[in-house]
Amino acid sequence: MNENVVQSKRGRPSWWGWVRSMGASLWQFSTRRRTTGIALLILAGLLLVAATGPLISPYDADEIRMTDRLQGPNKTHLLGTDHFGRDILSRALSGTRITLLLGISISGFALCVGLPIGMLAGFFDRFGLVVMRLVDAVMAFPAIILALALMAILGKPGIVNVILAVGLVWAPRMVRVVYSATLSIREATFIEAARALGVPSRRILLRHVMVNLVSPVIVQATFTFAFSIMEVAALNFLGVGIPPYVASWGGMMNEGRTYVIRAPWIILFPGLFLATAVLSFNLIGDALRDRLDPKLRRVM
Amino acid sequence: MLTFVLHRSLGLVVSTFIVITITFVLMQLIPGDPAAVMLGANATPEQIELLRETWGLNQPIYVQFLRYLSNFLHGNLGESLFHRKPVLEIIAQRAETSLWLGAAALLVVVGLGIPAGVLGAIRPNGLTDNAMLLIALAGAAIPSFWLGLMLMALFAGRLGWLPSSGFTSICETGNLANLKSLILPGFSLGFVNAALVARTTRSSMLDVLQADYITTAKAKGLRGRVVIMKHAFRNAAIPIVTVVSFTFASLVSGAVVTETVFALPGVGSLIVQSVLKRDYPVIQGIMAVVAVLYVLVNFATDLSYALLDPRIRYR
Repeated sequence: MNENVVQSKRGRPSWWGWVRSMGASLWQFSTRRRTTGIALLILAGLLLVAATGPLISPYDADEIRMTDRLQGPNKTHLLGTDHFGRDILSRALSGTRITLLLGISISGFALCVGLPIGMLAGFFDRFGLVVMRLVDAVMAFPAIILALALMAILGKPGIVNVILAVGLVWAPRMVRVVYSATLSIREATFIEAARALGVPSRRILLRHVMVNLVSPVIVQATFTFAFSIMEVAALNFLGVGIPPYVASWGGMMNEGRTYVIRAPWIILFPGLFLATAVLSFNLIGDALRDRLDPKLRRVM
Repeated sequence: MLTFVLHRSLGLVVSTFIVITITFVLMQLIPGDPAAVMLGANATPEQIELLRETWGLNQPIYVQFLRYLSNFLHGNLGESLFHRKPVLEIIAQRAETSLWLGAAALLVVVGLGIPAGVLGAIRPNGLTDNAMLLIALAGAAIPSFWLGLMLMALFAGRLGWLPSSGFTSICETGNLANLKSLILPGFSLGFVNAALVARTTRSSMLDVLQADYITTAKAKGLRGRVVIMKHAFRNAAIPIVTVVSFTFASLVSGAVVTETVFALPGVGSLIVQSVLKRDYPVIQGIMAVVAVLYVLVNFATDLSYALLDPRIRYR
């Protein structure tokens, strides 16, 4: 607040100081480690591809050219073509949008479910006991098996069903993170002070606990994003994710399976796109954790 | 030790119960009448009614649950809609392949991961250490099915050294050469986890190597290998055991896709086929079996802590 006032006296708009300090922390964040900067660049690239979409892709992602089928990488088709003569680069670029969309929706879903439940579980002991037992039990099902079963239960392949199935797999993990963070926050002196002042529990949760959960939740959401796009690719690869007519990295790899020995590039490039995206999110997650939550720093 | 085991066993029973309950609840979530869903669109009302009768679907939910629970305890996981055989029998037929694959992958995880981690800890920031860090970072981002397909294109396609897919039972044919079909799947499944185990081994070993008793052991003039293996490794083992047991879930998940990629007739490819065919009893059965196995693995891990570190028993 104070800083803004000072800034405006110098004749600059009051938001300038905020922008400048945010910019400075972003710069510091991305230059502290070389890998973080690279990861952020990759992320920016992916966002750009997702935003511009068809504008920058050399061909229509779904256009079938049987005369061009199964071509290796060459000058006209930089990453080759698949068994329908569709351009791999265009399809991979088009898959970026759906991948980011699904990743954001799934982490958002896990967040919206995991944050309130985890917070209440950490704050109210008896509720927490029941919830955490359940969470542990749900986590006894390996991720892909639970997602497969949920897809079977939800019915048809589709974007919303994928979000629900994968989101429900990752929500318990979010609950666990929020739960353990809440447990340590509620022992803090400022919570005790708020209680002593007679602040009601609801207000403590919303105004004091939740604010302090922001860091661990952001970190976990980043990892959820990385894991979930990997899992979505696996579901698409198995043919139970989003419908096959939508170009997706996992779906492309599934379609290329029959031709893996003749035309490995159909699988190679979508996999590289996926691996790059996952890697960049993992690196950003690691950097965010070190920055926001040094206590959680991984030993490895 | 006995109270420790008893205490953990009680937890085991509770966890198993909750896990089984979840598989029951999940199947209740199938929208619409399960009997109608399972028989498909062409079923007559009489057929649906008959199925509801045989499965007891017209009884109150708690009766259904108790029946499910008692069936489970008697080893009856229902009957496949597609194969018309008991679910447990189908799973048992497929189990051999999955167990061999799991063993192969675990061999890669332990055989590559732990030595790499120990080497990394002996010379931190050396060549092995940095290579390992790179592989671990990449390994966390590479989907195992992609790795499997690429290895297949290289070793089965281009070089023609190894079979690209399929697996014939070893128990039935007695032919150990069949294990050759598991080299590629086992490697692609285990590799990613090996990197994780290597990182954990490294950091755990690094912690231990700084302890005073290591300095003492070295000062006594013990050979380097003895210090590393006898003094350091055993004390570094707990985090390693933990992370190896964590790989169980990840190996099962990975097996689902790996078995599909390499056309292995295992439990993992079975669940994919069942999902595509909407064979709900098989899906439910596999979920129950896998989750119970997971609970058992956790139980075994807890017990192994007590064996590795006697202090844990008294807590």
